[in-house]
Amino acid sequence: MLAHVKYAVKYLLGRDQAGRDFTIFPDDTFLVSYPKSGNTWVRFLLANLLHPNETVGFANINRLLPAPGVSSRRFLRNLPRPRILKSHEPFDARFRKVLYLVRDPRDVAVSEYHFDLKKRYIAADVTLEEFVKRYLVGETSGYGSWWEHTVSWIGARQGNPRFLMARYEDLLSNPIPETGKIAEFLGIRADEERLAAAIERSSADRMRKLEKQQADQWTGTKNTRQEIPFVRAAKSGGWRETLPAHCVEEIEAAWAPMMNFLGYELESRELNNKTVPAWVRTDQPI
Amino acid sequence: MIKRLIVGTKYYFGLYPPGRNVHVLPDDVYLVSYPKSGNTWTRFLIANVVYPEKNPDFSNINALLPDPEDMSKRDLARVVRPRVLKSHQYFDPRYPKVIYVVRDPRDVVLSEYHFSIKRRAIAEDYPLAQFVSRFVRGELNHPYGTWFENAASWFYTRQGHPRFLLVKYESLQTGAMDEMGRIANFLGISATPERLAKAIELSSADRMRELEKKQAHLWSSTRETRQDKPFVRSAKSGGWRVDLPETGVAEIESAWGGLMREMGYELAVPSLIPAGMANL
Repeated sequence: MLAHVKYAVKYLLGRDQAGRDFTIFPDDTFLVSYPKSGNTWVRFLLANLLHPNETVGFANINRLLPAPGVSSRRFLRNLPRPRILKSHEPFDARFRKVLYLVRDPRDVAVSEYHFDLKKRYIAADVTLEEFVKRYLVGETSGYGSWWEHTVSWIGARQGNPRFLMARYEDLLSNPIPETGKIAEFLGIRADEERLAAAIERSSADRMRKLEKQQADQWTGTKNTRQEIPFVRAAKSGGWRETLPAHCVEEIEAAWAPMMNFLGYELESRELNNKTVPAWVRTDQPI
Repeated sequence: MIKRLIVGTKYYFGLYPPGRNVHVLPDDVYLVSYPKSGNTWTRFLIANVVYPEKNPDFSNINALLPDPEDMSKRDLARVVRPRVLKSHQYFDPRYPKVIYVVRDPRDVVLSEYHFSIKRRAIAEDYPLAQFVSRFVRGELNHPYGTWFENAASWFYTRQGHPRFLLVKYESLQTGAMDEMGRIANFLGISATPERLAKAIELSSADRMRELEKKQAHLWSSTRETRQDKPFVRSAKSGGWRVDLPETGVAEIESAWGGLMREMGYELAVPSLIPAGMANL
């Protein structure tokens, strides 16, 4: 009852969490990705590009590059336009301009496993194998499976001039040109120096330091298991060491067509570049 | 503030239609389509198979196959399970079981054009060519995306999945018995050919036209619209060949030809096909 009253008051004052229901403006841009695909890193990159004179950290990232999921309607409405907002939604037709960040689903699985342990979404004794089974059918996230997420966005928007896809792996290996592409898409004028400065300020080391100081000041890390870091490996290909071979096989068997499309090399050679139409995919788990 | 109080009170008691935020139950089935793609017809067909004893018509169709945008949260929670719900939403990962009805977008645009006139969203003399451009760009006064976005978001994510059934409007017209057999099977209903034939008969365009004449004032989608324009219009496929200007056909095909072809719609101007997602 008290919770209801609290919510009602918040709602009346426009201070309730917006979630999916907030006013979207035609000049909005959305940074969208499946969870655990580098969204926070890119938020830091963009915030550092946009606000070179501020010290971007976990304590102010929700203000500098807001997430409708954790901000109030009123806060969102009063932001200066054009806004750039973070989202994990699968395809949403209301988002007219979208920067879509995608990451190798084998790395996403490992990252999400650790994050869910940190958040206590799963019990401490759940194994990675058990987790991957549920991950494959989209049960570990409220945003659908990795397949559904990537296919819904790329299928509906690829080729649209207001849609830019960026691979996490390219951002890691080639940060300056890749960040440059993103800046251009967002209409941010940035020379190489400014790009390099933003990349430096968003480095994994720096983010780790900031996390140590500010973990209690950010919605993503507050009240979570503090012995598990939020900024973890920040690498690509970590699945080779940690993901059991049969989990790799299962992920590849389920999602090979999209992984091929995105240029992720598969361990199962017979699935590499095997282009099959979406609708003959009989291998999809139920 | 007063407005917020009223909205807030309604919210508290669940007296608002939840729309996209519908509380999804694990045994729900969603009948999904882009608007003007035969959703109402399929709703009648399914209602007549599943609930023949209720004599489905425009006065009770919203109760039998509810629309989360047109029924309050409270009433939705009271619908007898398993529920079959109607939806126009683009991909929603929470929908556990989906029948997706797709229709040739060249016919959809014509149907949408006439329906927009009926709803007074556009004037009767609004240029069709201009309407087609808006249709392709997704500038319609509904929140369901473009035909392409809606169809692609479902088709590419779920096609081949055992809990997804793709039904073409055109196949329902030419082979209603077969298609209704597939739908009944998907819903887990063992319906005799007689029962299916009866449902098809009771959902014919002629019968729906008669019902509309008597009950237009009893149904949310026809109430308060122009009564000189019918809701159940031609109920045919291929009307675009006669009524859609060539430029309109080319505009639609050059935008969405890849997916149209993947779904089995023959293109009038095949050279316009853009690269689709066929290789996924």
